[in-house]
Amino acid sequence: MNIPAELRYTRSHEWVRQLEGNVVEIGLTDHAQDALGDLVFVNLPQVDDSVAAGDTLADVESVKAVSDVYSPVSGRVVEVNEELLDAPQRINEAPYEAWMARIELSAEPEGLLDAQEYAKALEEEA
Amino acid sequence: MIRALRVARALGTDPAKNLALEALLMERLPRETCVLYLWQNAHTVVVGRNQNAWRECRVDLLRADGGRLVRRPSGGGAVYHDLGNLNFTFLLHDGDYDVARQQRTILRAVRSLGVDARVSGRNDLEADGRKFSGNAFYRHGGRACHHGTLLLDVDMERMGRYLNVDPEKLAGKGVASVRARVVNLRALEPSITPQAMARALTEALGEEYGPEPQPLDMHALDGPRLRELEARFASWDWTYGRPIAFSQRVSRRFAWGGVELCLRVDAGRVADCACYSDAMDAGLSGRVERALRGCRFERAALCEALCALEAEDAGQAQDLRALVGALEC
Repeated sequence: MNIPAELRYTRSHEWVRQLEGNVVEIGLTDHAQDALGDLVFVNLPQVDDSVAAGDTLADVESVKAVSDVYSPVSGRVVEVNEELLDAPQRINEAPYEAWMARIELSAEPEGLLDAQEYAKALEEEA
Repeated sequence: MIRALRVARALGTDPAKNLALEALLMERLPRETCVLYLWQNAHTVVVGRNQNAWRECRVDLLRADGGRLVRRPSGGGAVYHDLGNLNFTFLLHDGDYDVARQQRTILRAVRSLGVDARVSGRNDLEADGRKFSGNAFYRHGGRACHHGTLLLDVDMERMGRYLNVDPEKLAGKGVASVRARVVNLRALEPSITPQAMARALTEALGEEYGPEPQPLDMHALDGPRLRELEARFASWDWTYGRPIAFSQRVSRRFAWGGVELCLRVDAGRVADCACYSDAMDAGLSGRVERALRGCRFERAALCEALCALEAEDAGQAQDLRALVGALEC
């Protein structure tokens, strides 16, 4: 399972990438896309939505189920990846490139895992 | 680990109310418990969470026949329900959720009534090589919902009438339905009724999981939260207003010229519109666009919006209303 060292993670299988300034990028991990199966639809948040860590940020429909994507951080949505609306399978093909939303932080993120900790969490889950 | 089984029977056949009960049962699901919820909707088309209602269902025809259209929170394709259909829902916490085991419970019940059945693909159950149950799934807040139809004695003629939309008419986003050959279980075993099936499912549940299934008091669920959920499932915004974009075009020839109307619809409203005509009327497209933009994608609303053009040319406005009448909406 691909777990890039430079990202941070949640136990609910989102990844977080620090961008310039106070903005982070959110997506679904390789493990998440593998467990979900082929994605057929993505619902993204709206730009300017406020989210709190743990809130539902988006949802995805795969051939298996509709599932929530939780926000790993608190802040304001400043950009969404509209490319995914036409091509949800991008998340299956390249999970760490297929970011879903960019969020401007309103508070320092808490409780995120580094790559090693996330790998361990996956082992425990299995 | 499942230590308690609860069986919930819906009290009525209103689809929004029944979906609200399902959502509330899921919200209030106790730990280590599996709830089996059994429900029936009268004369209803149910579309999947991310489907384009107009591409999947002849909305106008269904409405004219007094039917209801609702959207469920799970994925997958459109289905038709009437009282010849029994719906089942398994509600479990994530750790107890096991699609194969839940489907085994259904198969056990169906076999106990004398019909040999099997799983087909991920989402269907079939007997005699034909589908009698479509399954769909969603997960929220650490809980999972697996629900599906059981075709017992559904009016197949009506099912075909509402679910057959000309694919050429609509282009756009959304999850498309997969068509399958279907069969009513009653055609395979005439003794099968909704009551008999409900009993068989309750027994199969106990056999599969161990504990004795206990009935769940549905009246205890009544309250403001149930009404809030019901209002959501009955709302126009949830059913039609989801951000699933598509476009539709119709054309017709009138005494004053040929006209083609193209609408782009998003979140259930006309987002853009263009009107092409070979009549020498340069202002027509702009006038139609001004009248229709932002309008709900419903025939009555579109016709009313076109009334704004009457002052200009009453005959033309009437023709345009006829053109709108040809839309699949």
